[in-house]
Amino acid sequence: MFFGRFPLQEFGNLNGFVIKRILLVFSLICLVTGGAQYCSAATEAGSMEEPDWLDDDPFGDEGGNVGGAETVFDPLEPMNRFFFEFNDNLYYLILKPVNRFYSIVVPREFRTCFGNFFYNLASPIRLVNNLLQGDFVDAGAVLSRFVINSTLGVYGFGDVASQEFGLKPRPGDLGQTLGVWGVGEGAYLCLPVFGPSNLRDIVGFAGDSYMHPVGHFNDGNMVANIAFYTGRQVNNLSLNPNVYEELKSYALDPYVSMREAYFDYRVKLISGDQAADGHPQPLMDQEGKYE
Amino acid sequence: MNNRQRITVLTCAIVFSLVSVVWAVTSPTGQLKPTLQSIIDVIIDDSFKGEGRKNVRRQKIMAHVDKGFDFEEMSKRVLGRTWLDLSAVDQGRFIEQFTKLLENVYIGKLEAYGGEQIQYLDEKIKGDRAMVTTIVPGQTKGLPVNYIMIDKGGDWMVYDLKIEGIGLIKNYREQFKSILKRNDFQGLIKELEKKNKSFQ
Repeated sequence: MFFGRFPLQEFGNLNGFVIKRILLVFSLICLVTGGAQYCSAATEAGSMEEPDWLDDDPFGDEGGNVGGAETVFDPLEPMNRFFFEFNDNLYYLILKPVNRFYSIVVPREFRTCFGNFFYNLASPIRLVNNLLQGDFVDAGAVLSRFVINSTLGVYGFGDVASQEFGLKPRPGDLGQTLGVWGVGEGAYLCLPVFGPSNLRDIVGFAGDSYMHPVGHFNDGNMVANIAFYTGRQVNNLSLNPNVYEELKSYALDPYVSMREAYFDYRVKLISGDQAADGHPQPLMDQEGKYE
Repeated sequence: MNNRQRITVLTCAIVFSLVSVVWAVTSPTGQLKPTLQSIIDVIIDDSFKGEGRKNVRRQKIMAHVDKGFDFEEMSKRVLGRTWLDLSAVDQGRFIEQFTKLLENVYIGKLEAYGGEQIQYLDEKIKGDRAMVTTIVPGQTKGLPVNYIMIDKGGDWMVYDLKIEGIGLIKNYREQFKSILKRNDFQGLIKELEKKNKSFQ
């Protein structure tokens, strides 16, 4: 069994057993629904292609699908909308005040450095995934960035690799790897707390968390893992504080907007576009103007 | 060099430069540039700055934008088959509201970048369609905008925008589809009007 080779022992035998089974079920569902989806979609096996932006026929076929684009497969929409509302409340009640407080207390430069630190820590994940995708150029870049930033950048707080060596961040996660291998995204899922995802990417996220160094250093202590994850997400949000509210301000149906945006973002990542990398970067300064 | 040769060289030079000028002007990027430049010019114009002069500023900008952007085409594409079932009056109302929405989203974003000069990165042409890749530079992160254009009798018009990786027409089409599932067209128009008011 593939998942049996992961060193699950230190995470507690019971947890490991259950998680192994869940991952197996998820990946089976994923493959089945992904396969079913590909029967109807006109995509190539082995790679996901971006919709052809120059496609014609504004009035589409009977299903109202225009110009080759399809509505994201969302069979669990009522449940997803419920969690979307939940996350929305979570954002305004907890995340936003915490973020505002955090941004006031911790200066922007520090938060950028923390962002670099968190991002650098996850380098093994990106390295392994780029290798799995056969992208040796990017794998090499990830490795170089990790070495440079961990040494010259002092444990990763500084992104010397980008600034002095012109080595930009390269994305790499297991969901993307699975996508490159041809696994369909399955159904769209809006998770409580974690936000937009899909079946494939959830499996990817679970797999990636086993590769994250922090999990190996604190003996599988769930509280520490959660604290780390939360801290990282709050810091990332503080660097791009307006992303969610902007999406809501532009959208008539924010749930659908986010669903489509997430789908397009993943397609772009899988088809190899470098621009979408999730590397936290400050977008706006205090006055709300873009820097 | 005798006179005949001089004339030949001169003629060739003139013809050559005319051809390259015409080529630059009639390429998608060549036609897009003046439109976008006029938008930037209004944004950086001090006499139009500030919240108070927003209406006047937007009016001026949209007068320029209308020349290079095909809002009717965008409206057709965003509604898909539903467009065909609409009366001419409803189509007109929709174009008006959807144009206003795009103005608030697209021009709003450009204004937030303070009128930085746009950099033109790439141009891809496929038949009568083209995609021009641009970026509005910012200190830490720029605003990538792709313009999808169609050749209408020699004029390249924008009929879709991709801002920060998100295709506007596709994104709004899915949103409108979802709204039309639980509402009729009049309901959609009302929601559009409400959204446009929220920008004021």
